[in-house]
Amino acid sequence: MLQLRNVTVGFGDTHPALAEADLDIAEGQRLLVCGAAGSGKSTLLQVAAGLVPHLVRPPLFSGAVTLRGRELGQHAKDELFTTISIVSQNVEEQLWDLGVEDLIAFPLENRGTPRAAIRDRLRELLCDLELQALGGRRVLTLSGGERRMVAIATALASKPRLLVLDEPTTGLDPAARARLVRILKKLAPDIPALLVAEQDPASIVATIDSIALLKGGRLAPAAPANDIIADQAPWQEAGVLPPRRSRAPRRDAAAGPALLSVSGLRTRLARADGRPVLEDVGFEIRAGEVVGLIGRNGAGKTTLFQSVLGLSRIGAGAIVIAGERAEGWTPARRARSIAYVPQNVRRILFNMTVLDEVVFAITAGRSNDASAAEKATAALAKYGLRAFADKNPFALSARQQALLGLACADAAGTAIAILDEPLLARDLHGRHMLGRFLDTLLSAGRAVMLISHDLELVDDVASRTLILEGGRIAFDGPPDAAWQSPAFAALGWAGPYGLTAGEAA
Amino acid sequence: MRRLYDINFFVKLAAGFLVMLLAWVAPDWRYGVPLAVANLIFLAAIRIPSLGGYIKGVTLLVGLVIASWMANLLIQGMGALDALLLSAGMAARLVTTTAAFYFIMETSSPGSILAACSAAGLPPVATLVLSLTFGIIPMLRDDFDRIADAQRARGMEIDDVPLPTRLRFALARGVPLLVQSIRMAHAISLSLSLYGFDVKRRRTSWRNVGLLVEPRLALKEEDHGH
Repeated sequence: MLQLRNVTVGFGDTHPALAEADLDIAEGQRLLVCGAAGSGKSTLLQVAAGLVPHLVRPPLFSGAVTLRGRELGQHAKDELFTTISIVSQNVEEQLWDLGVEDLIAFPLENRGTPRAAIRDRLRELLCDLELQALGGRRVLTLSGGERRMVAIATALASKPRLLVLDEPTTGLDPAARARLVRILKKLAPDIPALLVAEQDPASIVATIDSIALLKGGRLAPAAPANDIIADQAPWQEAGVLPPRRSRAPRRDAAAGPALLSVSGLRTRLARADGRPVLEDVGFEIRAGEVVGLIGRNGAGKTTLFQSVLGLSRIGAGAIVIAGERAEGWTPARRARSIAYVPQNVRRILFNMTVLDEVVFAITAGRSNDASAAEKATAALAKYGLRAFADKNPFALSARQQALLGLACADAAGTAIAILDEPLLARDLHGRHMLGRFLDTLLSAGRAVMLISHDLELVDDVASRTLILEGGRIAFDGPPDAAWQSPAFAALGWAGPYGLTAGEAA
Repeated sequence: MRRLYDINFFVKLAAGFLVMLLAWVAPDWRYGVPLAVANLIFLAAIRIPSLGGYIKGVTLLVGLVIASWMANLLIQGMGALDALLLSAGMAARLVTTTAAFYFIMETSSPGSILAACSAAGLPPVATLVLSLTFGIIPMLRDDFDRIADAQRARGMEIDDVPLPTRLRFALARGVPLLVQSIRMAHAISLSLSLYGFDVKRRRTSWRNVGLLVEPRLALKEEDHGH
């Protein structure tokens, strides 16, 4: 159905994002493309979906892309984008402030489909993708996982022959990932071909039949999924964590004094039924610890750290930072003790150069300490960003921005760093950088809170695990005990590394 | 109050123009000021979102208008009380005008505007311009607040500082806001291209549109259409 021949794409950097790629997708095929961050997955998918070079024109493009034997350029735009539908990794790039039904119906409305037919298709998609509860909501008020499912429904509205999904499990908790796989399997008769890119193949492998690995812009031939999934070498060569890897040795931590204590925390922010998002939350983070925080999408993890940082008002409870009551502190004062690195680091950048961002992390804009630039340069070098010091931070790739987030949190010297779903940790180089960050902080008697849906990552690096459920910390203890706890069982998730109760210890 | 959100965008737009017209034909402050106050009370009564921010902005506007007009009128030799009342009348017109359009903007989602425009048979370009004009301002305002939170979370003291410093830090939000605006424009443009928006093709809508615009799709009800 779709063929790429000798396709090379460059965006002005020294190396092309995609080099001499060949790819064939036949009717009925379900192909997974895996590679490290920055390996060219998104570029490949954008070429396959016709975005590059038809909507986004890169400085370098060569090769041929044909759909049903005709060059993509010979297809009318309507024909092309109803035959192939893509959902980007960053779904925000395809969304704006419409209602859920508006967004799903948008392609049909634009193409003049009669109202009755649109309403029938809307009902069908809302039911098939189990989105009934989201009807009437505005898209930008939804969680990341909900937005992704609505974006997939929109992509399916015109009944495409090829569905292209770029990192569809990003931001989804394990239950939501399982639901996505179940829905894709259920809809298989309606989706003749599927092309998916992922860093974490394990979560999506049940819905695909072949895998192609991508390294440094070069695509290896596709192989049957069963032949490659259990093999370690090809994944490591591609810079990706092997899906069937062994469990990493445990990090032993000697916890020091409490750096952050939270007790009886109740938020003012409430759920639709009037209950506070967090009702009675209590925990401690001690020097030298990596504390993993897990919970369902919408459990209140974001609200929890926003409350601790003073960005969300609390109704009751105590927050003690380094032995001092901090409820009356401004968010800026709290931030001098607690650094926050979000999943999308772009959200916290506002300086003109990469170096300025790190200098700001050190000085918080209060002074022009002469040594700050020197410290900032050293921090950039540590995370491989020295060459980008004078670049605008918004010009960096998402991966480079994630590393910049680590450099800022490291250089800030705060007692605690909160890492919210660090996606760079899903490949070998990113995991190495994260390890460097953790080692630096722990050796200095600092601590890290890691918020993640990646249970293998939590199992690998956390010395303690918190499970947030029902507005409370339902479990607080070592990861081994967490996977066997009733609180974890209540989530209904599979344990990391396929662990089940009794195997973890 | 939820019903106000479902009123057809064009009905709200017509009502807004009517209120604005009343403000501008009001002969002096004795009519203009009560009308402005009534508008503000109306906004408070319906619990319009982000009213606090709007009130801050409008207070600044009133202060600037009264100060500049009074200075001008006093220089021209008018008595202080007369100058104050004339300035208050002008400020009241601006308050009423901004309140009317703030109401329209806050209670009209881009989706409901798209539906109203499509049902009215407007050309696709006009449909797009109207929904973006009224829909994008709240999105940019949310982004401005989000960037402020990012500055706080990075340790920038923007709450417990003198007003001039606060204003300087607010200006520093301009760069990321500009970047965000460009990204938003790119996202909308990509979405329009991918999803078949064509200036030469008349759009349809899933919603039933009359004086009210259907807010959500009933999953189990029969669609009788309009």
